[in-house]
Amino acid sequence: MFGKEDKMKKTNNKLNLRRRNFLTGTATLAGLAATASVVPITIANANHKEGEKGLPEFINWKNRDALIVHSDKGIETHRSAIGESLITPNRNVYIRNNMPTMSDGQIGDRNEWKVSIEGVKNPKTFSLAELKKLGHTTMATILQCSGNGRGFFAHKVRGSQWKTGAAACVFWTGVPMKAVVDACGGINGSAVYMTSAGVDHEPTGLDPKKAMVERSVPKKAFKDAMLAWEMNGVPLPNAHGGPLRMVTPGYFGINNVKHLGKVAFTEKESSVKYMKSSYRISPIGKKGSQYPSCWEMPVKSWITRPTDETGTVKAGKVQIVGVAMGGTKKVRSVKVSVDGGKSWKRAKFIGPDLGKYAWRQFALETTLDSGTYNIASLASNSSDKQPELRMENRRGYAHNGWKDHSVNIKVV
Amino acid sequence: MKILKFLLFTIVVFILNFQVAFSDEEKMKKGLEIFNETAGCAGCHILKAAGAEGNIGPNLDTVSVTKEYIVEMVTWGLGVMPAYGEEGILTKEEIDIVSFYVANSAGK
Repeated sequence: MFGKEDKMKKTNNKLNLRRRNFLTGTATLAGLAATASVVPITIANANHKEGEKGLPEFINWKNRDALIVHSDKGIETHRSAIGESLITPNRNVYIRNNMPTMSDGQIGDRNEWKVSIEGVKNPKTFSLAELKKLGHTTMATILQCSGNGRGFFAHKVRGSQWKTGAAACVFWTGVPMKAVVDACGGINGSAVYMTSAGVDHEPTGLDPKKAMVERSVPKKAFKDAMLAWEMNGVPLPNAHGGPLRMVTPGYFGINNVKHLGKVAFTEKESSVKYMKSSYRISPIGKKGSQYPSCWEMPVKSWITRPTDETGTVKAGKVQIVGVAMGGTKKVRSVKVSVDGGKSWKRAKFIGPDLGKYAWRQFALETTLDSGTYNIASLASNSSDKQPELRMENRRGYAHNGWKDHSVNIKVV
Repeated sequence: MKILKFLLFTIVVFILNFQVAFSDEEKMKKGLEIFNETAGCAGCHILKAAGAEGNIGPNLDTVSVTKEYIVEMVTWGLGVMPAYGEEGILTKEEIDIVSFYVANSAGK
């Protein structure tokens, strides 16, 4: 905390030295809609409460109307722009990058991008072109920032004030990590973690210990993991970690390391800041590496329409629609309440089931008279259900409480 | 005697709490110096008013935050951003001044 340093002398030389030290040391819904009088929702109705900020240059191809710009590094998808289809289109996917997105110039020839595999019987370095010959798969997973829902916490939490939109359901195409491991003769017996490292810190010149995004996850995660080079059918955009990204299904976004340069099977967790001290779920007022890391995502759901973003709803039959995820387990059921959680009705899953790591859309058709309603959803997987309240924690991580995620609507 | 002790105590407390009161104009000048030199914020952030073109942290011209929020961020850091207060890199007074400067310069 504050101590004698408070009184330290402030000369320009000393100050510049400090800076140097830091830099170097440091399914369709259309059918359903036809059966009920839902007020038509368009993304153009999105309510940009934060003003009319434009998009930063590196993502000027995204859909501005679908996005809430917290900063040029933190961009959220509007609640009403999620769930219009099962898969989130790239132009609507949120942005949360710890390091500046690498440019085409920094990346070079994408097929020559290199990733080294260590902690295996035969360590190797593969080019992207070589990886493409090892295996091929496509999988839908949920990408969700650890801090999605931070904006609901009552205590002062630093960081982007995400509500529901730091999440997306995405099709990835790439090579299964298991195929890569097999090509390297298998994992070393002593390994406990799969540790993935990005290289996007390198152009910054910052100290890797403080700036490198290197994340360790339990070794078991490799079985379903993949190295992805495509996102929703197009080459993985630089802004989302192109040309190659680790995908760890069921784990929070930070573990899906962008601009991937290395995967190592290790006995210990990485010692970089982004593993050791950041992304730890600690009590308010406390921090440290002894607290759980943001790994597996909990079961969660939220309403995507109608919401306060989509205007008033016409009285009569109303379709209440949302998305639900089971975390690392298949989501089993979703219940919906229109009275703030006093009573619940089971919703129907709609659209295709893309596997346990994708979210399911759900819908409940109900009849609402004019008035105001608090609409909530409550999802369950085989072992857990959403709690009513958030788990209070210092950094506002892993929020899956249903109450905060409810919406108030006006029916006329 | 009691009165003397009380007066002495009051004087000591006054001295301990004495701070140079900078005018807003002085804060802006000193804040710019801290931003660009002392703390090196310019190395990581864009802030047109300071001529800063860093691209590691958020572009400060695009964020809408209060001075109080900036004080929190500078004091405790976030991600790769150092905890300037917690680590004793800046004094409380410097943090207050640079936060005042950023809050009143962003987007201008």
